[in-house]
Amino acid sequence: MSTSFFDLDNVGAVVPGRTLLHPLTLTLAPGRVIGLIGHNGSGKSTLLKLMARQLAPSTGTIRFEGRPLAVWESRAFARRLAYLPQQTPAAPGLLGRELVALGRYPWHGPFGRFGAADRQAVEDAMAQTGVADFAGRPVDALSGGERQRVWLAMMVAQQPGALLLDEPTSALDIAHQVEMLSLIRRLGRDHGLGVIIVLHDVNMAAAFCDELLALHGGRLIARGAPDDIMTPAMLERIYGLPFGVLPHPVSGRPIGYV
Amino acid sequence: MADRVADSGFRCGALIALLALLAAVLTVVAAHPYLPGPPWTAGTWRWLLEGGGDVRRLILTDSLLPRLCAGLLCGGALGLAGVLFQQALRNPLAEPSTLGVAGGAQLALMATATLLPGFGGNLGTLGHGLVALGGGVGAAALVVGLAWRAALAPAVVILAGLAVGLTCSALASGLMLFNGAGFQALFLWASGSLSQNGWAIPQALAPQLAAGAVLALLLARPLALLDLGTEGAAGLGVPVRALRLATLALAVALSAAVVSAAGVIGFVGLAAPAMVRLAGARSLLARLTWAPPLGAALLWLADATTQVASQIAGSGARELPTGTLTALLGAPLLLWLLTRSGGGDGGPPVPAEPPARRLARSGPWLLAGLLALLLAAWLALAVGQGVGGWRWSGWADLQPLLYWRAPRMAAAMAAGAMLGAAGVLLQRLTGNPLAGPEVLGIGTGAAFGVILLYLAVPAFPVEAQVAAAGAGALATLCAVLLLGRRQGHAPERLLLTGVALTTVFGAVVALLLSSGDPRAFTLFRWLTGSTYLATPAIAIAAWTAALPLLAVPLLCARWLEILPLGEEAARGLGLRLPLVRGIVLLLVAALTTAATLVVGPLSFVGLMAPHAARLCGLQRAVPQLAGAALAGALVMVLADWLGRVLLFPAQMPAGLLATLLGAPYLLWLLRR
Repeated sequence: MSTSFFDLDNVGAVVPGRTLLHPLTLTLAPGRVIGLIGHNGSGKSTLLKLMARQLAPSTGTIRFEGRPLAVWESRAFARRLAYLPQQTPAAPGLLGRELVALGRYPWHGPFGRFGAADRQAVEDAMAQTGVADFAGRPVDALSGGERQRVWLAMMVAQQPGALLLDEPTSALDIAHQVEMLSLIRRLGRDHGLGVIIVLHDVNMAAAFCDELLALHGGRLIARGAPDDIMTPAMLERIYGLPFGVLPHPVSGRPIGYV
Repeated sequence: MADRVADSGFRCGALIALLALLAAVLTVVAAHPYLPGPPWTAGTWRWLLEGGGDVRRLILTDSLLPRLCAGLLCGGALGLAGVLFQQALRNPLAEPSTLGVAGGAQLALMATATLLPGFGGNLGTLGHGLVALGGGVGAAALVVGLAWRAALAPAVVILAGLAVGLTCSALASGLMLFNGAGFQALFLWASGSLSQNGWAIPQALAPQLAAGAVLALLLARPLALLDLGTEGAAGLGVPVRALRLATLALAVALSAAVVSAAGVIGFVGLAAPAMVRLAGARSLLARLTWAPPLGAALLWLADATTQVASQIAGSGARELPTGTLTALLGAPLLLWLLTRSGGGDGGPPVPAEPPARRLARSGPWLLAGLLALLLAAWLALAVGQGVGGWRWSGWADLQPLLYWRAPRMAAAMAAGAMLGAAGVLLQRLTGNPLAGPEVLGIGTGAAFGVILLYLAVPAFPVEAQVAAAGAGALATLCAVLLLGRRQGHAPERLLLTGVALTTVFGAVVALLLSSGDPRAFTLFRWLTGSTYLATPAIAIAAWTAALPLLAVPLLCARWLEILPLGEEAARGLGLRLPLVRGIVLLLVAALTTAATLVVGPLSFVGLMAPHAARLCGLQRAVPQLAGAALAGALVMVLADWLGRVLLFPAQMPAGLLATLLGAPYLLWLLRR
C-alpha cells in the first residue's frame, strides 16, 4: 500500500446559488481514524461524498492512494474503499446475510463465482460486527440500529482499505453508539484501515478519533488531535456557541459541555 | 435561499405567461369571425352585453366565452388534483387516472350505452356527465376500500388503482369491440371535449373548483408533512390515514367534476405538477400555487389550437378532441423541460413496495408454476369449441389443428414471458412499482410505426407490419436513451420521459381511432393485444428472440439485487451506474420490442407479472425473474385460449383477457 491516503488539491463543490465547500487543499495520512465535525450544513457530508466519489468536485482533484479518483475503475475503487450513506435504504425482500453478501460484488463482479473466499469474508464480517443473529432475518424488519450494523457488516465484507462513514451512529442509543464506534476503531486497527467518519457528537468524536477536522460554513477551520480541538475557544468557533471543557473524572480526556 | 425561491416563482410565472399568451393569440384567431371589428368603443361593449339575438354575439357569449372559462376551470382543477394525488401517494407518476377514475368513468359510459341504447342516445352532455361521475367515483371507492386495511399505504393504493383502472378500461374496450362504430362519438367524448352551449358547466365548475382550492389550502400544512414519510408525519400528530383519505377524496372529486364536465382529459393532471417541479417549485405550497394556473394555461392553449385547427380544416371536418391535443402539446413541453433542467429533483421519493412474505425456497414453487404453464399449454392446444360445441382433441385429432393452434399459443407464451421479465428489470431499475415496459413508450412507439404504415399504404403483408412496429420501437428507444443520457439515465427522469413519449404516440393513435377511418378498427384489434397474426414463422421467430433475451437478464442478477438499494449504495459497491442502467434499459427495450411485435402493445402483463411474483414470495432477483416470466406466459396462454374459445366463432383479443384474468388475481394477492 502506498503511504498516501487522500490528497485533496484545491477541491471545491458548488451547486447553483450556493457554495457547499470552498476550495480545500489537504493531505490525510493512512491508518488513522479521522473525524469530520462541524455544524449542520458545514460541508462535512459533502466532503465525505466527494472523497467517496459519490459527488464530482466542481474544482480541483482528489487523489486516493496516489491516483486521481477519476482514473479509478469502479470496482477496483470499491475494493479499496467502502462508503456508508447517511440513510441506509430498507432493502426490501433481502435477508441480513444476503445484504452482507452484496458487499462481495466488487470482488466477484457481475459474472464471477461466489466462491469459498467470498463466503468466508461474509461470515467473518458478520462475526466481527456481531450481526450473526440477523443473518436469517429480513433487513426491512430490523430496527434502525440493527440495520446500520448490518450495513456496516456489508462494508466489512467488501474488505476495503478505507471506510468512509456518514453519521453511522445517528440511529443508535448511547450504549450502541459506544459499541459501534469501538467496533469501527477495532476494525480499523485490526485491518490497518483508514477510517473517515462524520459525527455530530463532538465528545464521541474526540473519544474515538485520532484526528479531527472541523468545518464551518464550507471551510476547514481547524485540524488536529482531539486535545487540540477540545478547547472552549475552538469549540465556540466551530459551533458558534459558548462551550466549556472539563477533564473526564476518570480518563482525564477533555469533555465539552454547553 | 430566498432568491432561489423567487427565481422558481419567476420561472413558473414566465412559463405560464408564455403558454397563456400563445393561447390568447390563438383564441383571438379562432374568435375573429365573430368579433366586432375595430375601432372598439363603448358601443361595442353595449352590443356585447345586451346586443339581443345577433347570432355572432350569441356565439361569442354563449359558446366561445363559456368554452374558454370551462377550459381554464378544468385545467386548473386537473392541475390541483394532480398535485394532491402526487403528494398523497408520494409518486410522481400518480395522476387522476391512477385511482381508476378515468377507467371507471369510461366503463360506466360504455355500459350505459350498451345496456340502455335508447337511454344512452338521449342522455345529452349533462347525463353523460352524471354517468361518468358515478363510474369514476365508484372505481375510486373500490380502490380505497381495497387499500383500507393497509392503512391506505401509497404503494397499495397505487397497485389497487392500477388493477381497477386497467380492468375497467379493458371491459370498456371489450364493449367497444363488440359494438363497433356506434361508439365513436362516445370515444371522442371520452378523449375530452370542451364544446359548450351556455354557461351551465362553467357556472357549476367554478364553485366546485373554488371549494376544492380552499380545502386544498386547509390540507396543505399536514399534507406537506407527508414528505417525512408515514411514520414521520404520524409522529408529528398527523392522522395519516384520515389525511390520505380526505386528500384522495378531494382529488377524486375534482377529477370527477372535470370528467363529468368535459370527459376524460388526460395528461394535464400528470404534467402540470411535473412541470412546475421541473421549473423549480419544490415546496408543496409552491406547487399548489403554480400547478393549477399552469394546467389552466396548458388546457386553454390546447383548446384554442383545436378551434383554430378545425377552422382551418373547414366546417365539414370533425373537431379534434381537446384531450388529445393537450397531450400533443404538453408532452413535448415536458420533454423539453426534462432535458433543460440539470440536477433538480425528480419528485417525491417513491415509497417502498408493500411488504410481502418471502419464501424460504423458491424452487418448488417455480416448478409448480412451470407445470401449470405446461398444463395451460396443453389445454390451449387440445380444447376448443367447434361447430359441434366444446371438444377435446386427442393426439390423432390434434394433428391437423396444430397448425392453427400451436403458433398463436407459442407466440403468446413467448411474449408473456418476455413482458414479465422486462417488467422485473424495469421495476428493479427504477424502484417504482408503477413502472412497466409500456411506460418507456416502446409499445406505443411500435404502434405508431404501424399507424404510419396504415396511413402510407392501403394494403400490406403481415411482415411489413412487423417491420414497421420494429422500426417504431427502435426509434422510440433511441429517443429515450438520447434524452436520458445527460442525467445518466436517472430513474425518475427516465419514467417521465417515457410517459411523455407514450402520451404523444397515444394521442396520435386516439386521433386516428376517432377519425372514423375504417382501417382504424383493424388497428384497434392489434392495439388491444391480439395473437391472431401469429404464423408458424412468427412463433419460431418469437422463441428465437425470447430464449436468449430471457437468459441474459439472469447474468445481470447481481446488478438487479444492488440497484434497488439506491444510487449511493450502488455506486459505493462499484457499479458504473450510467453503463449498468444503459444495459438494463437496452434489455428491457429488446424484450418489449420483441413481445410487442408478436402480440401488440400490451400494457398489462409487464406491469403486473413482477408484482404477482413478488407478492407470491419470490423476492430475490433470479426467482422473481423466473416467476414473472412464468406468470406472464401463463396469463398470456390462458388469455389467448379464452379469447379463442369463449365467444366462438368471434375472437377476443388476448390482451384484453389477460387484463381481465390478471388484475383480479393481483387484487386478491393484495388483499391477503
